[in-house]
Amino acid sequence: MNSPALRAQHLGKVYPTSKGGKPALNDLTLEVPPGRVYGLIGRNGAGKTTFVRIASTQLALTSGSLEVLGLDVRTQMHDIRARIACVPQEARPLYFLNTEEVIYLYLKMRGIDPLEARRRTKAAMDELSLTEYRKRLVARLSGGLRRRTLCAMVLASDAEVLFLDEPTTGLDPIARREVWQAVRRTIREQRTILLTTHYLDEAEALSTRLALIEQGELRLEGTPEDLRARVRYPYRVMVQDPFPREELLSYGRVADVEGGHLVFAREADAREVARRALEKGVRVSLGPVSLEDIFLEVVGRSIEEDTKPDEVAA
Amino acid sequence: MTERHRLRSLLTFIQLNGIIPIRTQPLYVLSLLASPLSFLFFIFIVSHGALIQYGVMGGMILTGLTVGTGLQSDLTHYRHDLKFQDVVVASPVEAPVYVAGMALSELVYSLPALAVFVLIFFLEGWATPLSVAIVTGVLLLIWGFACALAFTLATYFQDVRETFLFSPLISLGLTVIPPVYYPLGYLPGWAQTAALFSPTTYAAELVQGAVGLVPVPFDVAVRDWSVLVACTIALLLIAAVKARWQEP
Repeated sequence: MNSPALRAQHLGKVYPTSKGGKPALNDLTLEVPPGRVYGLIGRNGAGKTTFVRIASTQLALTSGSLEVLGLDVRTQMHDIRARIACVPQEARPLYFLNTEEVIYLYLKMRGIDPLEARRRTKAAMDELSLTEYRKRLVARLSGGLRRRTLCAMVLASDAEVLFLDEPTTGLDPIARREVWQAVRRTIREQRTILLTTHYLDEAEALSTRLALIEQGELRLEGTPEDLRARVRYPYRVMVQDPFPREELLSYGRVADVEGGHLVFAREADAREVARRALEKGVRVSLGPVSLEDIFLEVVGRSIEEDTKPDEVAA
Repeated sequence: MTERHRLRSLLTFIQLNGIIPIRTQPLYVLSLLASPLSFLFFIFIVSHGALIQYGVMGGMILTGLTVGTGLQSDLTHYRHDLKFQDVVVASPVEAPVYVAGMALSELVYSLPALAVFVLIFFLEGWATPLSVAIVTGVLLLIWGFACALAFTLATYFQDVRETFLFSPLISLGLTVIPPVYYPLGYLPGWAQTAALFSPTTYAAELVQGAVGLVPVPFDVAVRDWSVLVACTIALLLIAAVKARWQEP
């Protein structure tokens, strides 16, 4: 079996500025397999960016250990840096460069030969549909195009592990899918991507494994199927009105939604609810729970809800 | 990274932060010429041309220091607003290559102003092998000093606006109170004492001595060079220890 691209063991982080020493990461243990997209999901302030910043050697850890490609982030950071690339959250490309220069100069900065850098720049721009903007100054690009340029920059690099911290925030649905396509292409090149996102559809569409982090702690980890298998109610049944709510309560958790009820249930119960609904001539749909449903069940809150300042350290 | 890769990386920073911004916005050059040339013009008018040599030599020192002011703002802006430093940290680029590349890139902005002063320097017939060597040496030390100061301060700034707060204070302490634009003897006693705490006082004395404006005996020259070298090394060491490449 291949050794993991990232291995965190009992990882802890307390920021020096944290009041009361509340950890931003607490006893986090996980392994990221190589050559895959690994999704880190959680609410804002859950600890995703802290993890990315430690793994990409921008931030020192407080306790535990973290290895990237078998190298210790505390003692072998120079060796790690030669093999990684990162798009930090809230990063913006230098506004006085044009789109092509952002990518090309980044590659040259990494020491890549100019001819090879030109070839990679062109390929990345084609892949992310940036070619028509190649001579446009970053200052004149929309927020979405700027994010796309940053993604193209690291995807064009020679790094073995890529850290994409909320890479598609601010992108329209088409641009998001172009980034997804580029991410998938990168995976065909056997590179590892650690992706943090609060778009659960994105995490599910791209990631072969996922880790759900809440208040600096790992709550769930595994393939999307694993996550479904580990929640109490792995199936959802949407039952349209009219269907008496009271009759549904014994099958699982019931949420009232516009025009009907959403029932979270075990497989057998879900099938039973669907059968009964069909008997009554009521419209019904049945399927596995979504990642969002899992998130709600595990965390008890929507992923869109920000972490409050007193819940986690800065 | 091999030496070749390091050199490529360093040249990329010069291109990225020095050459391309000027190409995109040529007004940068005019803006950076404005400050030292305004001082020169002001001194020329007030002294009826008598202190023009002081103005030229002071302008050179101010230009060297301006590199530091620009660097301080750029580093803070790139680190906090654009997260560019985070992108660089998570790459094969080593901190000294980034530091040297950025410091050299700022020098590009100063080249037009330096060119004007060097031209006057030669046209006025002040250039001798010794004066050229002294002025070059002093400017290199001032540049190193200004860059080290910029790196140390930029480490602690959380916002680019803080650099706007400190830049005039640094300018006051390094170019206004010290006798950069006039002879030390013009200053009142208390200011002469205060000026001794600024390395630019010693730099000014050396360049003024190089063109024969003030007598600089050998023992004074040794003292001046020693202070300048010591200050630059001390600040470079502080920058190396304090500057944060990885956050705690």
